[in-house]
Amino acid sequence: MKLIKKTIPLAIVFVFGILTLLTYYVPHKHSVDFLETMNKWENIVTAFAFFLGLISLFYAHSTKISRKADGWGYSLFVFVGFLAIIIPAYISKGKNMNGAELTWMGWAFQYIYNPLSATMFAVLAFYIVSTAYKSFRIKSLQAFVLFVAAMFLILGNVPLGQIIWDKMLGWTGYNISQVVDWIMHVPAVAGKRGIMIGISIGAVVTALKIIFGIERQYLGKD
Amino acid sequence: MIKHKVFLTLFLSLSAVCGLFAAKPAPAAKKAASLPPAAVLGGVTAADMPYDVGGAVLLRWAVNPSDTPATTYTVYASSLQAGGWVEAESFASTAKTGKDIDLPFWAWDGSASEHAVKIELTNFFGEIKDGDVFHFKVAALENGKLVAESLPLDASTTSNWFRLDRLNNVVMLLLVTIVFFWAVSHAKRKGLFIRRIAGLDAIDEAIGRATEMGKPIYYVPGIGDMTMVSTIASTFILGEVAKKVAQYDTTIKVPHYNPVVMTVSKEVVKQAFLEAGRPDSFREDINQFISSDQFSYAASVDGMISREKPAACFFMGYFMAESLLLAEVGATTGAIQIAGTDSESQLPFFFTACDYTLIGEELYAAGAYLSKDPMLQSALKAQDFGKLVVMISVALGVILTAVGALMKWGAFTQTIADLFKAY
Repeated sequence: MKLIKKTIPLAIVFVFGILTLLTYYVPHKHSVDFLETMNKWENIVTAFAFFLGLISLFYAHSTKISRKADGWGYSLFVFVGFLAIIIPAYISKGKNMNGAELTWMGWAFQYIYNPLSATMFAVLAFYIVSTAYKSFRIKSLQAFVLFVAAMFLILGNVPLGQIIWDKMLGWTGYNISQVVDWIMHVPAVAGKRGIMIGISIGAVVTALKIIFGIERQYLGKD
Repeated sequence: MIKHKVFLTLFLSLSAVCGLFAAKPAPAAKKAASLPPAAVLGGVTAADMPYDVGGAVLLRWAVNPSDTPATTYTVYASSLQAGGWVEAESFASTAKTGKDIDLPFWAWDGSASEHAVKIELTNFFGEIKDGDVFHFKVAALENGKLVAESLPLDASTTSNWFRLDRLNNVVMLLLVTIVFFWAVSHAKRKGLFIRRIAGLDAIDEAIGRATEMGKPIYYVPGIGDMTMVSTIASTFILGEVAKKVAQYDTTIKVPHYNPVVMTVSKEVVKQAFLEAGRPDSFREDINQFISSDQFSYAASVDGMISREKPAACFFMGYFMAESLLLAEVGATTGAIQIAGTDSESQLPFFFTACDYTLIGEELYAAGAYLSKDPMLQSALKAQDFGKLVVMISVALGVILTAVGALMKWGAFTQTIADLFKAY
């Protein structure tokens, strides 16, 4: 049992982990083909897993409806929404357009899905304002530095900003766009690179842990 | 009379055809005959482009000191024995020298005194097999007029087995791997000190709060797939969180964007409940697939958080624009929020909307930190070693490059730059 549950999966992870790592250093066509095959396999596994996801979704919502749990009415919309796309898709044979005309599925995407998606994206703008407000509360020296940098960026990105800058700080001889460029290309990039280096090293070590079987939590403990 | 006219016409036509009237050269032909014949461009070599998958050829020849700014070179390629020439590359005489090939000093000996042109044959001839022979010629033009042309050259391409240009990367990887194994063996002998990570220490507090309030915990693993390190790290953290949730006998909900991540997470949570001695508390609907569409997922999870008002929200994994949509909604419900991502563009949003944020590498370290397994914690030492190498490299690189620039040691500066460059 241990052979099937532990040894074989760990061996598969090790072999394919090493082979995938080698593809970065081996440019040969076999290496490219191997990577392509792995990507195809990943897509196939994802396609099968999608069915499991669908079953999970339907199971959770049908249970909610049958138990009349709080907010069970929303669960009805899962099935309504599913049918509202699946039936037109079946009738339209999976096509959005029939010549120059929208099919049922195309109509559902254009007039239901796209506006809903755009609405969610638009909500982001309001959240950014509320987040910016939280960020601009000066509680420490770091928050003050952040506030000053943000103010410069705001000034640099609005047409009125240049006029305000010229009136107030024009005597410095610098242009607001030069200040914004400096902030974006020097301190911002320095900070970003620091984070990126840490992330990259962490990713390498995590990958080594998995390849060499040190981290095996995803298999369960012995 | 008519017979004579017919004979005369026939004679004139035949004469015209035979070129009797062509004895006098046409103006264009006369002009061409007055030009000196094109010289032979010597010293051109064509060989397979090294360290690539194949399908590219490298042509090299010496820079001609008598070239003027008006001189251009055109490289022709053909797959046929005769003719079929295709213009593959055209450039000014000052461009495309050996220095312009982006390879490090240990893999390439190009200099500014030679032209080096890489020709991607697949752009002109489609798919190419190893060993297929192609023909090349180089023409030098002065103000668009041919002044020299090389003899046709043959070359074939092959798939190479090693990226020698990535040797610095291999050395670094081997070094980190050696330190990794040293740290693992060291961890077996004695424990390691790990600095405190506030965001991870707060997990207990968050779960305790949820238990006291009788409200659920939301664990959002992001929108990454299972091939992403951040998602893998997120499943490790989920395992530890789920174990504590099972011990406290509280409720956890894990909404998923990716069905593969859901399948793995289901096993991780089941295992965690088993290890905590509470397999009876495990329910199939803890892990729930929501949608593989970014904003549908965000809308649905936002709705669930708004309705159920959880006591704690964990956002661990890879996030994009939905990070703020989720974290802001969570913040409005008053939940303790702990986030962790390696998506640096989303970190500012988590910083402002969440109580604790794990930055990139802390996310990877979280699983080891929470499990307190010395073997896993030892890997953090390798991480620290990597950071030390980077810090020393940056400091040394800055000093040596500055000295090189100050002393005008071009080759030295280039060598330092090559050593630390990713190819």
